[in-house]
Amino acid sequence: MRNLHLLVVSVGGALGVVGLLTWSASAQVPAGSTPADDKINPPVSNCNTIPDTDRKTPATATPITEDLLTSGQPCQQNVSPTGLVTSGPGPGMANLQRGFDFYSWLTFIAMNSPADGKVIGHGPRPGGDARTKWEDLQNYRPLADVMLSNGDRPIWGTRNVPDLCKPHDGPGKMIFQLGEEAFNQPFKTGPLIDQDGNYALFDILMNQPMFDFIVDKGLYSRQGQRQVDGDIQFPSGNSPGKDKDGKDIQGHMGAIMLKVSYRILDPVKNANLLSQFHTSDALIYFPGPPATKTGPACVEKKLGLVGFHVGHKTKFAPQWVWTSFEHVSNAPDAADVASGNLLPRYNFFSAACKTNCPVKNDTPPQPPPWDPDESLKFKGEYRSQVIREKLIPGFVLKEVADLNTPFRALLKGTVWENYMLLATQWPSDNGSHTDPLGAPAPTYLANTTLETYSQGKIPLASSSCMACHGNATTHHVPATPSDFTFILEKAQEAKKAQ
Amino acid sequence: MTDLTRRKMLGVAAAGAVTSLSTSVEAAAPGAPATPPAPNPLPNENDLRLFVALSSVLTGIAVLKMAPTVDPIQVRFDYFNAASADPGFPALLQIIRNDPNPESAANKVMNDPKLKYLGRSIILAWYLGVWYDPKTLERYNGPGDQAFPVPPVKVISPTAYTQGWTWRVAQAHPMGYSELRYGYWHNEPLPLDEYIKIVS
Repeated sequence: MRNLHLLVVSVGGALGVVGLLTWSASAQVPAGSTPADDKINPPVSNCNTIPDTDRKTPATATPITEDLLTSGQPCQQNVSPTGLVTSGPGPGMANLQRGFDFYSWLTFIAMNSPADGKVIGHGPRPGGDARTKWEDLQNYRPLADVMLSNGDRPIWGTRNVPDLCKPHDGPGKMIFQLGEEAFNQPFKTGPLIDQDGNYALFDILMNQPMFDFIVDKGLYSRQGQRQVDGDIQFPSGNSPGKDKDGKDIQGHMGAIMLKVSYRILDPVKNANLLSQFHTSDALIYFPGPPATKTGPACVEKKLGLVGFHVGHKTKFAPQWVWTSFEHVSNAPDAADVASGNLLPRYNFFSAACKTNCPVKNDTPPQPPPWDPDESLKFKGEYRSQVIREKLIPGFVLKEVADLNTPFRALLKGTVWENYMLLATQWPSDNGSHTDPLGAPAPTYLANTTLETYSQGKIPLASSSCMACHGNATTHHVPATPSDFTFILEKAQEAKKAQ
Repeated sequence: MTDLTRRKMLGVAAAGAVTSLSTSVEAAAPGAPATPPAPNPLPNENDLRLFVALSSVLTGIAVLKMAPTVDPIQVRFDYFNAASADPGFPALLQIIRNDPNPESAANKVMNDPKLKYLGRSIILAWYLGVWYDPKTLERYNGPGDQAFPVPPVKVISPTAYTQGWTWRVAQAHPMGYSELRYGYWHNEPLPLDEYIKIVS
């Protein structure tokens, strides 16, 4: 039996700290990318590398000014354990968290900027709204365009319009294909019903490096996944810099996946709300059984963005970096409910309900199936009564609130001032072998529209981006990890030889 | 007098942990991590640091592993709060406040006829994530059958349930929770050095 004398810092832990310490330095760039990498993950000339502070001692916060609105999208985080926080328990973690949260705001601004290249908030619609970069099919593709129903090879740039939607189609219309993941929350925990009795809807999208990797490896069909040996490793984003020999390294964006949530807005009844939401005119397609209980059908709805959740694989974050935004009027915090400090209106909470209210954060009382019909109205009087539970450490809550204030002020007068960062989850020990989840920080993070029913602090059961996505697998036999994405599980059997 | 070297303490703690392993989880399971503990006020930063330094000597686990520089888990707060609920804690705190040398302070704690049971509870907390009431440990501190049945225990918190050092020493994980990747059960456990680095 081994004689243990002293347990000291593990190799993984030490590497994790070293990785963190070097994140802000030139050592953050990877070794030279190969031509094959560049085909799937092409060089990016305009990575946003702005850090949250000037990196001096003492540090000064980067001014949150209009320059940031056109500064581009970060290809990776630019963070440091030294910064504004110099005392108290865990200043290193607090500074890193702020760096990641700053990265998240830059990402939010870049992805939600108009697809036509204008500045965010300067679009033609109420509140300066416009079709965003992620809604442009040249930049992102919805899951339904990638995991095709017959396991076919998807083609980038092809807009798939179901026949039933063609009569309603027009410029700027978004095709939204309904399936269970579009109305049911993760692990089939139930639908979210807004205060008008409509289903909240969810969609998943990915950028071109992620799409091209899936196509290149044949991961768009179950047969293709079964033929892949070894680990699935989606391409990583990195900022430009120098390698250890001083050679220039180009930036790459890496794989990005996006999950968005919407509430339905009635153009008449909710006319006063339209300037408060980013909206999309959607053609919602019900493919019919087995994907939907009813259909085939195509209905037109105006959707208001209520949740925005980004996963970005980057160097030194092989567990991906997880950004989560929400509309500010989705639900009150538990503390707000306790103090009575409530807004007049919420999307998923009734402040007026005093007696016989639905149980907070509970699924509808009716047993499943919960599939909507073409009205997208929930049958009965049930409305979700959602409260945002306190899952995040107090110092993170304060830091995020302090960061949200100037960024929202920067976007004042536009629809985008109504969105707030919840937090960013990042791997605090990215190289650990014993904890391949990378010791997520913060440990728990939940978006009230996307993880409504798993808010809490119970290991494995409560919402944690990395802990949840770390369980995702492929259709390989036996199943293999799918590199933190559930997208591959949506692949179908190919109907013909691949 | 108790000889409180790291070697001896770790041996005692590890033996205690291993012998308790098969029973503590079973005993804890019915009331196990149902709800997180009610939030406690943040402990005094210096007291927390002294508590971790003492814990390090008692368990043989390095301070940096108990309280990493970047630590999103922060289980030390749970253990501090569990220990501070014991009536003997002010006396223990006074010892570690007065003695700047953690090894010497730990010797004083473990040679105190009453506080030594609190010291043992702290060791067991770090290894098992479970709180044994020091009074119970004292009562069961006899030879033979007096040590059975298993004394009542309480899982300190949902976080503590997953963070017991026993699991790492055993290259294992608690029931129902593992950070390892899908299919890990198909492979040999990672080498012990991946969990802990051994200094002889």
